[in-house]
Amino acid sequence: MTRVVEVPTHFDDKSFDQFAGWFGAWPPEERVLVDARGCQWGSPYGLVGLLTAGQALAEAGKERPLLTVPAADDVRRYWARTGFFTHAAELFELHGKVPRSAATGPSDVLLDVTPIRASEDIHDIVGKIQEGAARILTGELGIEAKATMGFAMALSEACQNIVEHAGTSGWVAVQAYTFRRRLGRRVVVIAVSDAGVGFRRSLESTQAKRFGDRWGDATALEAALIQNVSRFRDPGRGQGLAGIKRYLSRWQGKISIRSGTARLAIVPPWDEDVPLVDHLPFFPGAQVQVVIPAQHAES
Amino acid sequence: MVQISLRRVLQEAVAAPYRHLVTRATGAAVRGRIEAVLADADWTITLLDFSGVDCLDLSCADEIVAKLLLAAATRDRAVVLAGVREDQRDALEHVLVHHRLAVAALFAGTGVADVIGWTSGDAREAFTALRAHGPADAAVLAARLDWPHERAEAALEDLGRHRIARATGGVFHPVTLL
Repeated sequence: MTRVVEVPTHFDDKSFDQFAGWFGAWPPEERVLVDARGCQWGSPYGLVGLLTAGQALAEAGKERPLLTVPAADDVRRYWARTGFFTHAAELFELHGKVPRSAATGPSDVLLDVTPIRASEDIHDIVGKIQEGAARILTGELGIEAKATMGFAMALSEACQNIVEHAGTSGWVAVQAYTFRRRLGRRVVVIAVSDAGVGFRRSLESTQAKRFGDRWGDATALEAALIQNVSRFRDPGRGQGLAGIKRYLSRWQGKISIRSGTARLAIVPPWDEDVPLVDHLPFFPGAQVQVVIPAQHAES
Repeated sequence: MVQISLRRVLQEAVAAPYRHLVTRATGAAVRGRIEAVLADADWTITLLDFSGVDCLDLSCADEIVAKLLLAAATRDRAVVLAGVREDQRDALEHVLVHHRLAVAALFAGTGVADVIGWTSGDAREAFTALRAHGPADAAVLAARLDWPHERAEAALEDLGRHRIARATGGVFHPVTLL
């Protein structure tokens, strides 16, 4: 038997729940076929989430899943350009024509889909992002030059959640694009995803008692993102997400975190997202998205 | 005074030509090396030189600067910063405020000295005045800044509490930067 998991036509943080729902009870008993043939667009969040699904199935000891690549040539080429297929080939049995395209020259892809396994990877990621981030943030988004450092800081802290808490490796991608549906402006998006223990299990030993019967994925996210608590006793811990929020508050940015069956977001005025959603279809680990919008509308 | 180049310690700690002080593991490794140097040195002030360091994240700011300040406080010693870039200030400010710590810093390029962290605007102004016009007690500082005596006294106490100024016979001397 095979379980077919459809990749939504427009694959982003909104449609991700639909994608997660296709897996059913986790981990699925059957071999999984991820069908991306109908996908017309994949956000960085979608792409790193897709790799996380493959990784989580492998770590659950399941048979190597199948992935049918998008039918649309431009979508395939874009996915190839982000480096997605290079990593997907290690996790999925790929079906369909995979382009070998490599990016040349300046691109909206600020950071290819990149694995995060250890602290050293974050050094490399921060090093790679500096030049492109300065170009996009100041040149396109109208954010002052010194804010580039804050962007690198936010990226580093988001990636460190994997190294410090997930208990396994994960993925990051950074891209600039136009948020036509929700904002009508250029944005830079950081997407980070892992197949690890998730926020609830990470914080359970120190926080579950405090929340009592309310304890779950949603309250764990609330503890981490709103109350800045950490599982470590070190009083210096828990500042990473707080620092990201502080940076985003200056630039009307948005952070949303999905873990297990819940998603919590700090929603800026330009977005209509619901701050907290619970009882979503389960998905392993944690998925973080950071959005920084242009400070002016596109002309 | 013991001067420590964070760029050099970073490269020794991670055995790679990195320019970024990022990740908690890196911060802990850098701090470990600094503590080893300080253990063998006779010092009252440690100057952490940020020259050549590019990105600074919160984890490294916490592991290095905040933890060294906390350790220095238990032995009545001072830590100061130099070569700090304006765009590194946010990370330092964030972690120091979190721990209710403050530190004197000399900024790269401009050579401007300022106090970063959990301190009042008055304390910062008092520090600038001490640097510009020399040591002072509360009466002298109050006269210089045209403040009430109590206000000058509170600002100096704030600086003294953070070891940004040291009192000798009621006269406060600003910590040496460079």
